[in-house]
Amino acid sequence: MAGESRAVAGNGRAAATGKQERNEVFVEYTKSICPVCKVVVDAQVNIRGNKVYLRKRCRVHGPFEALVYGDAQAYVASARFNKPGTIPLTFQTEVREGCPSDCGLCPEHKQHACLGIIEVNTNCNLDCPICFADSGHQPDGYAITPEQCERMLDAFVASEGVAEVVMFSGGEPTIHKNILGFIDAAQARPVRNVTLNTNGIRLAADKAFAAALGERNSRQGTVNIYLQFDGLDERSHREIRGRDLREIKRRALDNCAGAGLTVTLVAAVERGLNEHELGDIIEFGLAHPAVRSVSFQPVTHSGRHRQFDPLTRLTNSDVIELIAAQRPSWFREDDFFPVPCCFPACRSVTYLLTEGTPGQPGFGVVPIPRLIQVEDYLDYVSNRVVPDFAVREALEKLWSASAFMGTVTTEEKLRAAANSLNCADACGVNLPGAVANLTQRAFMIVVQDFQDPYTLNVRQLMKCCVVEITPDGRLIPFCAYNSVGYREQVREQMSGVRIADVVPNATELQPLLAESPYGSKIARGQHRPGNGHRTAEATNVGRRAVPPAGRPQEMRP
Amino acid sequence: MTVEPAAASAEVKACCAAAYSRDAVALLLGESYHPGGFALTRRLASALRLRPGWRVVDVASGPGTTARLLAAEYAVTVDGVELGDSAVERARSAAAEAGLSSRARFHRGDAERLPLPEAIADAVVCECAFCTFPDKAAAAAEFARVLRPGGRLGITDVTVGDGLPRELRTLAAWVACIADARPVAQYVDILTNAGLVTVSIEEHDGAMAQMLEQIEARLTVLRMSAADRLAAAGVDVDAVLRYTALARQAVAEGLIGYCMLVAKKPA
Repeated sequence: MAGESRAVAGNGRAAATGKQERNEVFVEYTKSICPVCKVVVDAQVNIRGNKVYLRKRCRVHGPFEALVYGDAQAYVASARFNKPGTIPLTFQTEVREGCPSDCGLCPEHKQHACLGIIEVNTNCNLDCPICFADSGHQPDGYAITPEQCERMLDAFVASEGVAEVVMFSGGEPTIHKNILGFIDAAQARPVRNVTLNTNGIRLAADKAFAAALGERNSRQGTVNIYLQFDGLDERSHREIRGRDLREIKRRALDNCAGAGLTVTLVAAVERGLNEHELGDIIEFGLAHPAVRSVSFQPVTHSGRHRQFDPLTRLTNSDVIELIAAQRPSWFREDDFFPVPCCFPACRSVTYLLTEGTPGQPGFGVVPIPRLIQVEDYLDYVSNRVVPDFAVREALEKLWSASAFMGTVTTEEKLRAAANSLNCADACGVNLPGAVANLTQRAFMIVVQDFQDPYTLNVRQLMKCCVVEITPDGRLIPFCAYNSVGYREQVREQMSGVRIADVVPNATELQPLLAESPYGSKIARGQHRPGNGHRTAEATNVGRRAVPPAGRPQEMRP
Repeated sequence: MTVEPAAASAEVKACCAAAYSRDAVALLLGESYHPGGFALTRRLASALRLRPGWRVVDVASGPGTTARLLAAEYAVTVDGVELGDSAVERARSAAAEAGLSSRARFHRGDAERLPLPEAIADAVVCECAFCTFPDKAAAAAEFARVLRPGGRLGITDVTVGDGLPRELRTLAAWVACIADARPVAQYVDILTNAGLVTVSIEEHDGAMAQMLEQIEARLTVLRMSAADRLAAAGVDVDAVLRYTALARQAVAEGLIGYCMLVAKKPA
């Protein structure tokens, strides 16, 4: 106290031994969870050295910090690309404990679901070293029944009215014996598009299966393939998937092309493994007739993954920088724009118009943001006027978690966006018409950093528009499902086997970790702490900050 | 890289022949385009210190995008003046659609003979158009006439340096509707002669570079989709892209630029 009053009385300059400056800018106060015990804790976001970090402290397990965005300038600038949410038709839960304990969706959720995921099983025909779902050849998992699938689809449709996209995932959904029936059940409902998330093994071996999907793709709704594809190097395959799948991927893609299926290549990107292959993956995709988009996802440190350092993990801005550095003649960092339907720091997207084949004469590529002033439409903070609301609507659908190449909606909106090129016939050629023709060859690149128990920020989670549909009819934001304990809860309910909370395989946590039966990490000695533990609240809400006069505040535990 | 002035000129003529009487920028980027986009328009508005209820004249208002922005975001009343009938019609219907008809009005008219009474405007804006007016002195005199004493003029426009080589003059003329762009000092002189006192000048050369990139992107798309028709029209896109690259180089060297200029009519 005495020291303080001396400092205040001084002339404002810190003495040589006096106060020090903090080395960071405090920008957000939020909530997160302890990555070890999953207890809800307060968290803060700070900017240090042009990088954005989330920091929190668990009373039992101490402080944790993780990198959440590699470029603080881009993080702050992205805030303007934030669209007012849409209220879903129904909510499935009530607000009781607050985010993230009430999933979902609870009435405090800020956005409807652009994309609903149905995990049809936990089993997989691979045992990848990296798998956020902790799937594999396992004796004690579960697979949903047709009745459960119908109930899940009904829950999603009840919430959405007309649903834009349902994704079937797993496990490995193609090994579920009812997968085609599930797709039929989705197509029998007001669901515009179905996406099948697969490792490609069955597609490579089973042409009849590819043809059956192709037949369903030519119906009213579309069916697209979301193909796990982490790179072209053998090492990437071995480290991420446990075996060399290159030939399988090639055959799967050729069979998709033969069946008229549109494919998104989905790369889990991990530091030191395949971060050097981003440009090659894009180039490979541009050259393959079935591929119309690439999705890069920094490895989600939930489920199984390699040991990592939360302070140097890959983020969206890192991936975008790598793409620009690996193909500088095609991309600049500012060709990517944040997606405004979810929280803008979660996902960034660009579209390319292309002609020809990379490496051959006549190849051309133009990122669409160089044709259109995207920020004049999707910056919701600055713009009270937009040049053309129809164009904004088109760009909203393209810069959305529901945008998948090959869907009718995406094709339509690409053509509509061409209308913003409101120019005269240039030298006898109509540019909007020219672009509309080229949209059939448009190519989409998505960069999406899913949250994990280290990076979870309820500020982002509350506006998440990618949901896991659970067999009991909840819609749980994807990152809450993977991080907070819902995945473990659902698996336990569905399989009847006790499931311990998965803990990230972070270097700093190694002394605390033990192996789970599925290859992920759990806290040592923690077989099952009991489910009530999951949502325990340790934030400073729910009681007065200062006890009422005359009554001492009860001691905290 | 060297460019044969004669060849450049021929290419320019070939392309512009197809361009009716319009400049190449409007041709490729649309008539509502101006370098810097909304962000520069907002910067201009704050430099003009627009206040709610003010009356603003937008000279060469095109399809009225800036007029709508100023009316909606700054609560001013805007009179847009535009030479093209169809642009005036589109501006009116877009304003009506946005519920701004009473605060964003549009008049067909020439910048050199504004169809507005004198001293009615608190502010005049003119974005990326002054350089295209054949009689700049007359246009500047008109700005001064419609401004009230103490009113402000805001111009954003292309500038060219004194050292711009001859072939770049030809090239620049093609690339950026700057057939008659001037060094910034000459703009100041023109305004001074009209009785307007320049109070601030800002460089926004990045907006110019961005515009050139957008032109390149659109040309590339045209080539991707209709190479044979372009060839039939006598346009060598590769050659044009070499010129735009040269122009970007000129921007980098400060020989072509973009400026925001604010002037005041003495009270």
